[in-house]
Amino acid sequence: MRAPFLVPALLRFPGSSARQDSWGRLLKITAGGAQLSTAAPLAKGETVQVLFELGGEKLRIPARVTHASRDDDGQPLADLAWSDMVERRRLARVLLEVLAKS
Amino acid sequence: MAAIGLLAKEAADRELLGLMLGELGHRAEGAGRLEEALEFARERKPRAFLLVDGGGADAESLTRELIRAFPLMPVVVALKTRDASRAVALMRVGAAEVVAPPWTPEDLKSSVSKGLRFQGTALTAASAAPASRSPVWYALAVGLFLASGLGVASLQRAERDRAAAAARVDRWELPVRHPAGLAFDGKSLWLVEWFTQSFYALSPSDTSVQLVRHLTAETPVAAAFTAEAMWTVSADGSVMRRMRDDKMTPLSRYPKAAPNSAGLAFDGLYLWTLDARAKVLRKHLVDRELTVISTHRWRGVKPAGLVFDGRTLWSLDAADRRLLRHSLERPEDVIEGVPLPEYAEGAYIPTGVSWDGSRFWTVGEAKDGRGPARLVRHKEEER
Repeated sequence: MRAPFLVPALLRFPGSSARQDSWGRLLKITAGGAQLSTAAPLAKGETVQVLFELGGEKLRIPARVTHASRDDDGQPLADLAWSDMVERRRLARVLLEVLAKS
Repeated sequence: MAAIGLLAKEAADRELLGLMLGELGHRAEGAGRLEEALEFARERKPRAFLLVDGGGADAESLTRELIRAFPLMPVVVALKTRDASRAVALMRVGAAEVVAPPWTPEDLKSSVSKGLRFQGTALTAASAAPASRSPVWYALAVGLFLASGLGVASLQRAERDRAAAAARVDRWELPVRHPAGLAFDGKSLWLVEWFTQSFYALSPSDTSVQLVRHLTAETPVAAAFTAEAMWTVSADGSVMRRMRDDKMTPLSRYPKAAPNSAGLAFDGLYLWTLDARAKVLRKHLVDRELTVISTHRWRGVKPAGLVFDGRTLWSLDAADRRLLRHSLERPEDVIEGVPLPEYAEGAYIPTGVSWDGSRFWTVGEAKDGRGPARLVRHKEEER
């Protein structure tokens, strides 16, 4: 299923990385991870906290960058794997609810 | 070469971004104000719009306005100050992309290009498949396949139940006789009763009365809610902004701002009133005077209510027993009419309408004015 919009996400980095908050669009969301298009270049292995809203629920899920590349427009693209099992289960429930309603 | 609209309050920003868009092969047309931008969009039908946020311009409301008028046109926002939360807020109201400062032709190129190829997020409940698949994975996959068969059957049954529930119409007799309006605050339905000068908060599940407020100094005829406030209008045309508390504490009063009011609605940006005598819809700026910024002819027979459903305005025509749909762009045009067969027998006259996020509710007064009022929850409309 494809949502009629791209889910915007706020990106927060660990204090140790001394990086400013950034933002991006989630191109794909699954219970295990996501694909993110962002203006901030991300590196493989980097951790980032992703804050977004889905199905009326606010989610804040720590993730690890499993693959980093650039899209055809030269914009950074990252594959993320959710690293918090509790939040991951919550996201799975939200996804099921959203998909059941569609 | 795609025409791109450019809305920036400051001429220097228009010049800079116009040059960059030109370098990227787009034909940019600059505007300093929303009205100019809307006119340009109507005449030239640009492929996308680029807005500047900051420097006295609020791109959040501008984005909303542009998308409301041209829902399919991508809007890209260029921030003057880097602020990630602001960027996310802009994307939530509909901006296709947000460009951070300092603006570069490369960033602009990728953002505009993305905006033009706008697609939605792909959602799937399953995780990505693991790289190496073990026998356990295959066993789970077979299990999942069998479970999904059962799941599909169960979903089909759920869909049948949902369709039956959506087609159902519910009616309740109310402990009031002279309803004048109806509003929904996200949790409760608010019934406006002019004769006893009261507001009744009703539970949408069983219409039990949760709260009653009597206003001794005014005769209320309509109400509407925003996220922060409750708006009411009285028979003398005075509009009141109130706190959303149990006491409905008054915050501001706008004398004679909405004469002969049959309905009140808030579209997220502007307050709309329906004048029953002049048969006009008025669009008000939410400022100190509730300034009327435009007036539009209402083309029904007997106006009785007004509501915003998140996308368009709907008015209630008590004589034709119909709901009339109006676009925000050209409210004088009726783009759809929904008959209300629940009022066909003529025993009740509809006097108020509301929307709970999925269905319309109407309230009707008994024709002789002696019997109890009737509340109707209508079937879900195809939208």
